[in-house]
Amino acid sequence: MIIAEKVSYGYSGSIRTVSDLSFHIKKGEFAAIVGENGAGKTTTVKLIDGLIKPTSGKMTVCGLDTASSRVSERARHVGFLFQNPDRQICQNTVREEIAFGLRAVSGKKRSDEIDRRTSEMLELFGFTGDEEPFSLSRGQRQQVALASVLAVDPEVLILDEPTTGLDYRECVRIMDMIREMNEQSGTTVVMVCHDMEIVLDYADRALVMAGGALIGDGRVKDIFRDEELMGKASLLPPQITGLALRLGGDFRDIDDAAAMADAVCGRMKEGKAI
Amino acid sequence: MTEIFQYTPGNSPLHRMNPVTKILLTICVCVAAFVTDSLIVLAALFVFDLLIGLTGGVFRKTLAVLKGLVKVSVFLFALQALLVRRGNVLFRIVTDEGLMLASKVVLRLIVVCLPLTLILAVTKISDLANAMVQVLHLPYPYAFTLTTAIRFVPQFMEEMTGIMEAQTARGVEFDTRNSIKKIGMILPLCAPLLISSIRRTTATAVAAEVRGFELRNHGSGYKKYGFGPIDLIAVLISAALIAGAVLLRNIP
Repeated sequence: MIIAEKVSYGYSGSIRTVSDLSFHIKKGEFAAIVGENGAGKTTTVKLIDGLIKPTSGKMTVCGLDTASSRVSERARHVGFLFQNPDRQICQNTVREEIAFGLRAVSGKKRSDEIDRRTSEMLELFGFTGDEEPFSLSRGQRQQVALASVLAVDPEVLILDEPTTGLDYRECVRIMDMIREMNEQSGTTVVMVCHDMEIVLDYADRALVMAGGALIGDGRVKDIFRDEELMGKASLLPPQITGLALRLGGDFRDIDDAAAMADAVCGRMKEGKAI
Repeated sequence: MTEIFQYTPGNSPLHRMNPVTKILLTICVCVAAFVTDSLIVLAALFVFDLLIGLTGGVFRKTLAVLKGLVKVSVFLFALQALLVRRGNVLFRIVTDEGLMLASKVVLRLIVVCLPLTLILAVTKISDLANAMVQVLHLPYPYAFTLTTAIRFVPQFMEEMTGIMEAQTARGVEFDTRNSIKKIGMILPLCAPLLISSIRRTTATAVAAEVRGFELRNHGSGYKKYGFGPIDLIAVLISAALIAGAVLLRNIP
């Protein structure tokens, strides 16, 4: 679905670059790109969407080379949820906002399909449709932006720090919707995220970046247990993984709080040392 | 594009010059450009602008600004050349006077715009505001308003780029080669840009208030902005520019 072959990019007059990126994200995968600030995560997702073109190498998304096809053409295949929803929202009502993306992609001003998809999204996200997007809370605006992206039913969904500035409840609500779409429709999800708890809870695969290079790629659980790799990327594993690593032994592979509590209680009942 | 309005660190004579002198020099170049009606003087002022860029160590930025101005100039030149009816017809509706006037308008635009942007490349915005308050005794709210307006330009441009990227990713054809179609698409983007601008302005106002905005006056600055030999030379050059433009205003 997404193939990067030795992709490099350098902003003119800037030190921000990514170099020699090679990876293959398959259809239906939920991949997270992690790394410290300035590691090249946002540049990588912009390269995937084609908002910037590789200076060398080749990026293919849904069979289309990003260097030779237009971003607006690929919008029917690739959805991009930006960190700041206010850059995306441009209509006076939530209904119009959701319909705007559908109109842009279909090239039609009105159609039954646009009305149907808009109504579906309004129902799914619990909006009446008459709300003014800019009067909503930050979390609700992010939901409006997500609804307008999901309305197009993209094959690939790119999320650039989708949970920034959201409280826990809003964050879980948005991420649950994304996972549901990933599981039910087989949408490929690529997410940039600083919250390792979210990555552990939702992503299957993690791509670790540092200094513009891909330094790790594998199952999220395996990546978080690789202390050397996490150290190189200046990342800390989620609390539960950190605890499991500290306890070691039988606890090492546990990555769920309830399972950890059960394991600890079981060991105590047996009268064994932890 | 946004870096055009940003400060370039350096230790050139222009960097060391008092910000007020730089403002004076810039104003004098502008006045000279408007006083004169001579294409030769305007061309000389253009060369002077390039020399400013070279002396300040920001020649690449000068060329970048020039590149941006050329795009506007081409449109302006065509408009003037096609609309002026006076003079001898050279080709269909284009007259010699039309071409001459178009050249002057375009050259004047470039001569005026170049130093206004270059002053920002060799002066920190904070120095510009502080020097105006300290030396010219301009009330701080006015200096703040002026410098904030300048400071917001690259931020708005960055915001606009971000908004256009977000809309392109949604399928809006900003990546089309049809410029007229693109202009029509920009209209819906005014709403997000306006909203984000108001939010940013409110946040800036609050930040300024909590840092004692109302208490600042000409004696508040820690850094002193003195005048040196470089400033004297700049003042002499400024006077020479005005005098030259006035004396030579009627040559072709």
